[in-house]
Amino acid sequence: MSTGDLIRKLSQSVVEYDEEAAKKAAEEILRAGIDPLMAIEEGISPAARIVGEKFEKGEYFLPHLLLAAEAVKVASDILTAGLRMKDRLEMEAKGLGDVVIATVSGDIHDIGKNIVALLLSVNGFKIHDLGRDVESMAIVQRAIDVKADIIALSALMSTTLPSQREVIEILRAMGIRDRFIVMVGGGSTTKEWAEEINADGWAETAEKAVELAQSLIKGRR
Amino acid sequence: MAPPWRIREVLNRAETGPLCLERDFDLRVLYPKIQEVIKEYDIRFDPENVVPTDGSLADDLWRAGLDLYLHTGTLCISTHRRILFDEGEIREPMSLFPEKLVVGTGNESREVYRRRIEDVRRPFCVFSPSLPFSEELFSAVEMAYAQEPLADGVGAGVLEELRGERVRAKSPTDVSAAAAHALMIREAARRVGRPGIYLADVQSALSDTAQISVSNPQWGVRTTDGRMVGTIAELKMDYGGLNRMVNFHNNGYIVMALFGPMVGGYGGGVEGTALVSVASHLQGLMVNQGHLDVFFPFHITHFCNTTRELLWLTSSVYQALSRNSPFLSLSNGIGAAGPCTKMVLYEAAAHGLVSTVSGGHLWEFFSARNRHKDRTTPVEARMACEVGFAAAKMRMKRECAREIANELLKKYEDKIKDAPLGKKFQECYNIKSITPTQEYMNLYRNVKKELIDLGIDFPY
Repeated sequence: MSTGDLIRKLSQSVVEYDEEAAKKAAEEILRAGIDPLMAIEEGISPAARIVGEKFEKGEYFLPHLLLAAEAVKVASDILTAGLRMKDRLEMEAKGLGDVVIATVSGDIHDIGKNIVALLLSVNGFKIHDLGRDVESMAIVQRAIDVKADIIALSALMSTTLPSQREVIEILRAMGIRDRFIVMVGGGSTTKEWAEEINADGWAETAEKAVELAQSLIKGRR
Repeated sequence: MAPPWRIREVLNRAETGPLCLERDFDLRVLYPKIQEVIKEYDIRFDPENVVPTDGSLADDLWRAGLDLYLHTGTLCISTHRRILFDEGEIREPMSLFPEKLVVGTGNESREVYRRRIEDVRRPFCVFSPSLPFSEELFSAVEMAYAQEPLADGVGAGVLEELRGERVRAKSPTDVSAAAAHALMIREAARRVGRPGIYLADVQSALSDTAQISVSNPQWGVRTTDGRMVGTIAELKMDYGGLNRMVNFHNNGYIVMALFGPMVGGYGGGVEGTALVSVASHLQGLMVNQGHLDVFFPFHITHFCNTTRELLWLTSSVYQALSRNSPFLSLSNGIGAAGPCTKMVLYEAAAHGLVSTVSGGHLWEFFSARNRHKDRTTPVEARMACEVGFAAAKMRMKRECAREIANELLKKYEDKIKDAPLGKKFQECYNIKSITPTQEYMNLYRNVKKELIDLGIDFPY
């Protein structure tokens, strides 16, 4: 099978959210001696974008996103392990960044957050998903521990909005506010709320959250 | 009478059921089974047929939803255990379920009864804003809803601030807001001359602590009022919900199971979400242990349930329930457009109509996708419930409802994505006299005329 065929196979496995096929394709690519970095850039990344677009159009549903993310992960892990140290460092440098994401304290609604996490993940961000109803200090602590670039905070219910503000206030009180980009979103948030609490960005939809994260990271670098 | 049904047994299973990670529940337990039963029962969405008349579809949907729930059970995310039941266990409380339930008190007491498809009795109607409002507006909004003649029960807004401070979930302000909310809605009901009206939940209280803190009939929530136990999408529960359920039953409250399955979510497309909807009603009985259900399916990106797909789902699910279950379920409408627009009135009419002829009671109406502060009014709920009332009174058949729903869809479905936001409550109402503006009433009358031309025979 030619290089192009193998890359297409990898790409197709992600679009078809087939974890097993993605694993096989990645292994074949390594065995064939194809540059793993090229396989990631030309095979996985465009496929991940297609998955996101299909979700946006209503052709794919949440389980498809979850399965595609698993296919991306298994293939990426195999290909990354096959990288030479130099390439690995190059890829890490090119990486979009680490995102600590959570639904804030008091809020158990996490589907919106899950969609954002999945779309960020398939678009090349490294995700540290802390789940739902997460205490503000735990979010900050994790962001420090993993040296996160972005802290993304979701809140559906209006009475959980103050917890988004609290995360920013803790960062400020600790003197580390500038170290992180803070994005907020969720059903009860607005652009005005984001401005009021001095968040760095707000997005109304998951797709816009990905664009926002990309542009904020670009702006910082 | 049930519920409650063997509460201790349910709680025990939340501790001892099969261990299951949430991701595995979503991907390896729920979704594959949905695909399997859709195929087995050949459940298919028909876009031309938003109000199906095929009894076998309703029965298949019921059986498929039951099969699904027997397989998945409910995942308790606090313990990562699945709460499973066999069919005999589910049939026991279903068999003991009451024919009717009395809610409210005094002159305002009402019977919620088992509704049939094309039932000629008026649906039980709850009018509810369920959106955040400022403390200054909160009482006026509640009075506006409670004074609606068709309201058999009334929900409320969410207090976002209390004495100038933002209310924060799980904090002491949550408990304070719950108390203020309970007091203010009782006062508002009395001020419009309906002190006994069914008050459906204290929506401002987000935590179980805050909810339980108002379990005090003397000044807080009366036992003739409703208490909510929400489901976590899809088919999940946590200790917070179970804590409420236990407390509400211990205090003799009317318990409402609340769930909103998402088209495009873990259930997949519209057919899968219809199955999850039936299964959610079963969870509502077995785990939430509700006397009433509040059912608000919606689309994951449109955040409304007035699309063609969602109207089909609503109609199919209510027909499945009506033919096969004793559940007392309220159909909760969510429109894409905001108040004081023709579109929101068309959406409300379509939702009220389709739900009523299919066997649902009504919980109306969230406007502007239930996402924009202050953007909902009782006028939208009035439209949905007046249409429901008219449809029942004129003995409307499903075929007729389908034709009217199709005509209404033609008026708004291409605008769902970019629906107008409309106006805020305070722009639609004179907040001193608590009356709708002339502008909105003129719009209302014009839309009502259009509905009469489409064949709806309003009693007034």
